[in-house]
Amino acid sequence: MADLLTITDLHTEIRLSGATVRAVNGISLSLAEGECLGLVGESGCGKTMTARSILRLLPPGGMITSGAIELDGTDLVQLPEELMQQIRGSDIGTIFQDPSTALNPTMTVGTQIAESVVVHKGADKQAALARAIDVLRLVRMPEPERVVGQYPHELSGGMRQRSLIAAAIACEPRLLIADEPTTALDVTIQREILELLDELRRDLGMAVILVTHDLGVIGGRTDKVAVMYGGRIVEYAATRSVFATPRHPYTEALFDALPELAVKGSRALYSIPGRPPDMRTESAGCSFAARCRYAQDWCSAHAPELDGDHPGHSYACFFPVSSVFGGGQAAAAIPVSAWLSGHDPSPRRSPAADGNGSSSGPLLRVTGLVKDYPVTAGLLRRKVAAVSAVADVSFELAAGETLGLVGESGCGKTTVARLLVGLEQADAGSIDFAGTDLTQLSTRQRRAQATGIQLMFQDAFASLDPMMRVRSILREPLLIQKAGRRRSHRRQVNRILDEVGLPADAADRFAREFSGGQRQRLALARALIQRPALIVADEPVSALDVSVQAQILNLMRKLQRQYGLSYLFISHDLSVIRYMADSIGVMYLGKLVEVGPAEAICAAPGHPYTRGLIDAVPVVTADPEAAQFGGGLSGEPPAATDPPSGCRFHPRCPLAQEICARQEPQLQPHSAAGQFVACHFPLEEAVSSPPPAGAADLPAAPSLS
Amino acid sequence: MTAFLARRMLQAIAVVILVTLIVFTLLELAPGPDRAAVVGTAAHSQFLVQYLSWLGQVLHGNLGVVSAGGESVAALLATSLPRTLILVGFSTLIALAVAIPAGIFQAARPSSVTGHGLRVLTYVFYSMPAFVLGSVLILFLGVGARWFGAEGPQYAGLGQVITDWRDLTLPVLTLALGTIAIFARYMRSAAADSLDEEYVEAARARGADERRVLLRHVLRNSLVPVVTLLGLSIPQILGGALVVESLFNFPGVGFQIWQAAQNHNVPVILGFTLVFGVGAAIGSLLADIAYALLDPRVRYARA
Repeated sequence: MADLLTITDLHTEIRLSGATVRAVNGISLSLAEGECLGLVGESGCGKTMTARSILRLLPPGGMITSGAIELDGTDLVQLPEELMQQIRGSDIGTIFQDPSTALNPTMTVGTQIAESVVVHKGADKQAALARAIDVLRLVRMPEPERVVGQYPHELSGGMRQRSLIAAAIACEPRLLIADEPTTALDVTIQREILELLDELRRDLGMAVILVTHDLGVIGGRTDKVAVMYGGRIVEYAATRSVFATPRHPYTEALFDALPELAVKGSRALYSIPGRPPDMRTESAGCSFAARCRYAQDWCSAHAPELDGDHPGHSYACFFPVSSVFGGGQAAAAIPVSAWLSGHDPSPRRSPAADGNGSSSGPLLRVTGLVKDYPVTAGLLRRKVAAVSAVADVSFELAAGETLGLVGESGCGKTTVARLLVGLEQADAGSIDFAGTDLTQLSTRQRRAQATGIQLMFQDAFASLDPMMRVRSILREPLLIQKAGRRRSHRRQVNRILDEVGLPADAADRFAREFSGGQRQRLALARALIQRPALIVADEPVSALDVSVQAQILNLMRKLQRQYGLSYLFISHDLSVIRYMADSIGVMYLGKLVEVGPAEAICAAPGHPYTRGLIDAVPVVTADPEAAQFGGGLSGEPPAATDPPSGCRFHPRCPLAQEICARQEPQLQPHSAAGQFVACHFPLEEAVSSPPPAGAADLPAAPSLS
Repeated sequence: MTAFLARRMLQAIAVVILVTLIVFTLLELAPGPDRAAVVGTAAHSQFLVQYLSWLGQVLHGNLGVVSAGGESVAALLATSLPRTLILVGFSTLIALAVAIPAGIFQAARPSSVTGHGLRVLTYVFYSMPAFVLGSVLILFLGVGARWFGAEGPQYAGLGQVITDWRDLTLPVLTLALGTIAIFARYMRSAAADSLDEEYVEAARARGADERRVLLRHVLRNSLVPVVTLLGLSIPQILGGALVVESLFNFPGVGFQIWQAAQNHNVPVILGFTLVFGVGAAIGSLLADIAYALLDPRVRYARA
């Protein structure tokens, strides 16, 4: 196969006032027709700027300073803008990260898909819209004739991403650039979108560049991988060999930071210390040396070349790993290094063994919690319907333990969090916290008494006042509660900063001066300063890179041990939940469908929905067979304004029978391990048990497929 | 959409009723003879009865008389309001026609010479009061160059007023330049925000050229805040008309109010205030409707 795309020694700079960021610092790669390349790395490593350079759509001040990008022999770098416009959208299609911002809200979906057809093929409006319908059908959009006339806000997240993909492939491009195409989506939809991309690549013979921070997305779907760090490619090889024997310490560290690969959640995740390099300054040596666990003096003085000791696998490192640690092992089996063993050897403590948890009962007992949001319509804003956000949810949480709440967007997990901390009032049910029913308290009483529950927001930056210094942010809860003297506040602030691993001088800075991970540390510090017994953490790591995510998760576990904290840990990511939680609650459309010990649920889920969620988690493997494994969930949850009758999951359930639509299943004891499942046909532990009639597509365990 | 419109309509009516109530209360505070001139025979009954009787008269077009036995306020309004509408209408149309492209241009080419020039100009006009701007224009273009008349059209017939472009130009221009400055600044910031959006990036990645990006993607999205501004600034524009009409001796609504204020003619002031209030309510209603037409999300959320 001839190479479709060849990038040679590409340098891209972004000139800001006062500094120049070397965003892409001499990368070379090539891509054959129909091939799929994964571009991986932390945020700020230059992977998006590489993609933007190919499109020649750089941010203000950005320019390609040297190098060549040849598409089919034409050097795009030298092309005049008018000719480049003819290539964008026709030869190169692009998919963006966030389908909710990448679609114009005031234009119909059809017009946007048809745009490239109008621009490049000179089609008239009718012909272009007809083409849009065809392409929508290609991306398996239900009712394409209707969708072309709809506006983006009328579509769900997954359908918006399908529309964006349709817009990208409308002119059948030969190269598709997908920049984090699934990061903003639920894990269940992520799988469908990735499979769709695979299928389109095969059918249309496109080459694909998949830009992502998620190794799970890359594995099994890409032919080769380029790992980027500090604007350079540090490892470049076939996906199979990178996953089997990662040679660069950075690649290895990325694998080690994955919670999926943590063994039963019993050890601390490896987190890469420090932060990505400052790309404004040129370092003499290896840019990763400062964070590398194997770095020698030599590394910071000399820059390694991207070089391979055998063809097809190149890396830029003087002391490659795997050769040291017995190469040839699967990534999942990378030995826990000596560095780690001294770091956090203690296994997950059980609260009973701790002697801390009083035997008087759980710290938190939620019973029959209900929250509806009214939907109004018409002239007089009569209430015509209700969004059933939380419907009869009950669970318990013991002191010092972590309950993980998992489910797709819109399942009501954030509403549960808001109800617990008092940001919303429950319509029914009780929240017993340390012996008091919080729902019976007045707002004033609650403010005085409920300091024991604190909230960590999903978007740490948005939750920190940009005009306040960190000291004021952290002191605010103390002032509101009139806790202690002002003089002691200073001491408390300094101490809490130290506990969350921030320097003392952080107190005098503003939130914007911190990185994403540090901001989440600040959010944790603010939640901790009142010494709560329970922290409700709503997606605390979902916006973070894997390596930073590992730091925050480790920190949260360290503080939990230190203070006997309980966490209600909300996430859509089962691998993170599994790493953090003692018990798991699975929510679907406002209902708790399964609850029980984390290990038991992950090993043998009882509810078909839990099974689907587990199957949807990308497997970190280079094996296409394992990555392609079917099952998982199809479709998206229906609107909560009109939840399905009976079991709310039945329209998507592979096992659904007639009774499921009629009768609502209650949570029933499922296994000896203490699992509770709300299902008429719970999954047995043994997969071989005969499924009920009409359930031929029962998802099987991966090992059997 | 129908429910949305109906609700907005009801709100506008409620606002208008409130305006009449406030105007009437002000009337109560007015000295006796003035009140009698407006309220007429009901002057000695209860407040509510008085109000309803006055409202009934207003609805029949009776806003009182300018002076005892003289012209009615309604008649004065009928001759002056169309003139003001001509002035305000022309200047607003010109303002939009200039400000929208100018704002988009500034957003698309912020560091070009023209972009900087436009910014300086909008700042100058933005910060210059209408009476200064008008005087300068009169001095140079009217008295100095003698291109245009230094006084607004003085004809009685509306047709003659419209066709008298020589006298109409300077008042329209004075009002328009100030309005352009306001709108262009809003348009620039709205278009700059819109240009930063990822959907613009996505359109470029589909091969859309700059022209297509600006006209198809940026224009409509950045019109949303400007349309809101337009609806809300109708009172300000009318206020500007007050100054301009006085300056150019143009007998529109503003001119009459100015005269009435100087003569303490309460019936005229109140009658015209009522009209301004209704105008503001209608302006805000129209802005809401245009907003809903431009942004489908509004239609969806409030339908």
